[in-house]
Amino acid sequence: MRRRALVLVLVVGAALAVAAVASAGNAGFAPETPHSPNAGRINDTFKLIALLTGLILILVEGALIVFMVKYRRRNRPRTAEGPQIHGATRLELIWTALPVLIVAAIAAFVFYKLPGIRDVPEAKAQGGPLAVRVDAHQFYWQFTYPNGTTSINELHVPVSRVVKLDIRSQDVDHSWWIPQLHGKFDAIPGETNHTWFKGDRQGTYQGQCGEFCGAYHASMLARVVVGSQSQYSQFISSMQNPQTLGGQEWRGVCAQCHGPQGQGGYGPNIQSNPVLTSPDSLRKLLNKGQNQLPPTSSYMPPVGRGWSDAQFAALQTYIKAHVYKGTTNGG
Amino acid sequence: MAARAEPATPYRADWRRGRVASWLTTVDHKRIGILYVVTSLAFFAAGGIMALLMRAQLATGGEHFITKNAYNSLFTIHGTIMIFLFIVPFWAGLANFLVPLMIGARDMAFPRLNAASYWFFFFGGCGMLLSFFANGGAAKAGWYSYPPLSEKFFEPGSGQDIWILSLHLVAISSLLGAINFVCTIHNMRGPGMSWMRIPLFVWAIEVYSILLIAVLPVIGVALTFLLLDRQVGTHFFLPDQGGSAVLYQHLFWFFGHPEVYIIILPAMGVISEVIPVFSRKPIFGYKAIAFSTIAIGFYSMLVWAHHMFSVGLPNFLNVFFMLSSMVIAVPTGVKIFNWIATTWRGNLIFDTAMLWSLGFVGVFTIGGLSGIFLAAFPVDWQVTDTYFVVAHMHYVLFGGAVFGAFSALYYWWPKLFGRLLDEGLGKLHFWLVFIGFNLTFFPQHMLGLMGMPRRIYTYHEGGLFQAYNLLSSIGSGIMTLGLLVFVWNIVVTTRRGGRAGNDPWLADTLEWYAASPPPEHNFDRVPYVTSARPLRDLRRRLAETNA
Repeated sequence: MRRRALVLVLVVGAALAVAAVASAGNAGFAPETPHSPNAGRINDTFKLIALLTGLILILVEGALIVFMVKYRRRNRPRTAEGPQIHGATRLELIWTALPVLIVAAIAAFVFYKLPGIRDVPEAKAQGGPLAVRVDAHQFYWQFTYPNGTTSINELHVPVSRVVKLDIRSQDVDHSWWIPQLHGKFDAIPGETNHTWFKGDRQGTYQGQCGEFCGAYHASMLARVVVGSQSQYSQFISSMQNPQTLGGQEWRGVCAQCHGPQGQGGYGPNIQSNPVLTSPDSLRKLLNKGQNQLPPTSSYMPPVGRGWSDAQFAALQTYIKAHVYKGTTNGG
Repeated sequence: MAARAEPATPYRADWRRGRVASWLTTVDHKRIGILYVVTSLAFFAAGGIMALLMRAQLATGGEHFITKNAYNSLFTIHGTIMIFLFIVPFWAGLANFLVPLMIGARDMAFPRLNAASYWFFFFGGCGMLLSFFANGGAAKAGWYSYPPLSEKFFEPGSGQDIWILSLHLVAISSLLGAINFVCTIHNMRGPGMSWMRIPLFVWAIEVYSILLIAVLPVIGVALTFLLLDRQVGTHFFLPDQGGSAVLYQHLFWFFGHPEVYIIILPAMGVISEVIPVFSRKPIFGYKAIAFSTIAIGFYSMLVWAHHMFSVGLPNFLNVFFMLSSMVIAVPTGVKIFNWIATTWRGNLIFDTAMLWSLGFVGVFTIGGLSGIFLAAFPVDWQVTDTYFVVAHMHYVLFGGAVFGAFSALYYWWPKLFGRLLDEGLGKLHFWLVFIGFNLTFFPQHMLGLMGMPRRIYTYHEGGLFQAYNLLSSIGSGIMTLGLLVFVWNIVVTTRRGGRAGNDPWLADTLEWYAASPPPEHNFDRVPYVTSARPLRDLRRRLAETNA
């Protein structure tokens, strides 16, 4: 009897500890602290499910452990049989019906929260949502703002503004995910996916590609910088400068494989590659990529697919000023 | 037409009776079963070593131990091996050995087809392992190999093609095996062995087989399309040429989700055999468990798109697949409640087989409940493709299927080989794996919620993130120790293990009526079966006669 009480105390204690940590919303017992209303509603749903499934968990594991302790063999012979009970229809009906009710409750809660998670707020006072196009590439993110300005790997938006994202891919499947702002939405070539968020606090929110996309999947990071309206406008105008845009392109797109100075790394050294100075061949290479065997390291993704003339020009400008070292004829 | 009568000639010793040749040419269901089990366990070891390498890499951040491309190959082949080359063939092997014995048959319905299905599996598996030596290395697009990443342009290496062709061979093997099981179970049950008297493991294999027959052709189509895209220049899955990348996902998961139940149902069948025997009680609600097996099989074909909630399907589809995925929790719950009720007021004997079965109930419950989070699609948007999913699927596939497999091995080992495994080493094996397993996979739930996607070879170091990863890697080491104890157990008991009689556990089902190991013809005489527990009936009749 004392042992049973001990088990009970242990189980309840463990459950309380877990519940306490979970309600604190950190240490990985609940999703990241939300900073957008839809992410908040997802967290609410998570917590309801955690509560209900937590209760079932305690009930099932508790029964299992109690029975294991209480009905263990002790010094009975191995041949001693328990009561030959073949079932109990009413009991079985009850434990079929009960889970139905529980999952129905969960589904109902999802339906209740769903419009607030999925539907983009109209945001009439703000003149409609800020529409940004997200293009996923191997292995970077490109953002196109309403006036056509682009940025690489960092998305700047004003605080408290509804932002609507159109997510596309230029090569393979990726998944756009900033845990504190919303869930995952895949970027699939040939499809356009949508989501939205409204940053409730200034700050930088980190995320990374959620769908395996190749060698540099682990390095395909994204940042959303939520700032004031003036910071946002300042950023947009700074990105008009070809040197700034070109620098972002170089660092986010090329330098991953070819190294910060183009000195080579995963990809070859390109500091004195003549393609860098020929706009046409560079553009062709970036549009088409290459894949040759062997070795497979001569694979290069079509990183410039879908780029505007301004983007190519900006990269060209930056490379000429900072990367290209001229041909080496030192042979 | 009557079979031609052969003149009775004395059996001549020929090359087919040699020690090795007799295994290579065998059509005996028991030998084929053992070949399957041994081969699949070898693949389990190979896949396990790959997992260990990955955990070693992830113990800390940075590209410090294996390269990113090697890592990508490892998780691709690890997943492929564990699912296609370990657990599904393991069940095929166990069922091969047991189903004819359990239903009182002499062999499978088609013995030669049976041998063919083993050799398809063997050569397919070898091809998969050898693909590491392919031009460009083994496949590295993940075990579900979504196009366009797995298309020729993005994955020019021939490893991907070998991956496809090896899977074709393994799929043919499973298909032949499944047809054989269905024919055997339907046509070869012994006297009195009605549908409501067959062991629950046989029910599980019946549904396992029907599911395989239903969904393997679909994966065959998906893989063939992918191969044609890569080699012939079609563009089924190439969106820029009018194909659809999402189509592959539908085809793959229409196979892929039932596959999960193909993996877990036999494990459920195993513990439905083990728990009653070691509780000294009948199974609680035989019919409920049998029908919930059928229900799970049916619903498993209606839930595939819950793997695709983040694809951007129309809302009504997300809703449908959320509801169907939640519905499948109900028959699963019924099973869990029935198993626990079976132990109620029993005489629980904690032999190793029983520990694995009760361990199954304990950890599978966690895996089942974390599945509810994934079924609610807005929550899935946060946790899909993160370590939360990795944790969930290892709780159901390792904590479920592999715990079930170990339960089966400790329970039926004496029937397979005539000797008992050592109980002391067995318990050490169980506890090391149980602790290591939870240490490895529980923190992965937290990692996923903290934002760690799956399939990354590195991560930002520091804080809890690194602590959980390190904990997980330590757990994998403890688990490995446990598995080494199992290997040691086999080595030790092969020569010195206790001889098992026909029925060492005082079991319920017909396979324990045969000798251990059973002779080639299984039974001298098949007893008439009057209930789902023929062996217990026989024991009681014997006791009455003696009294």
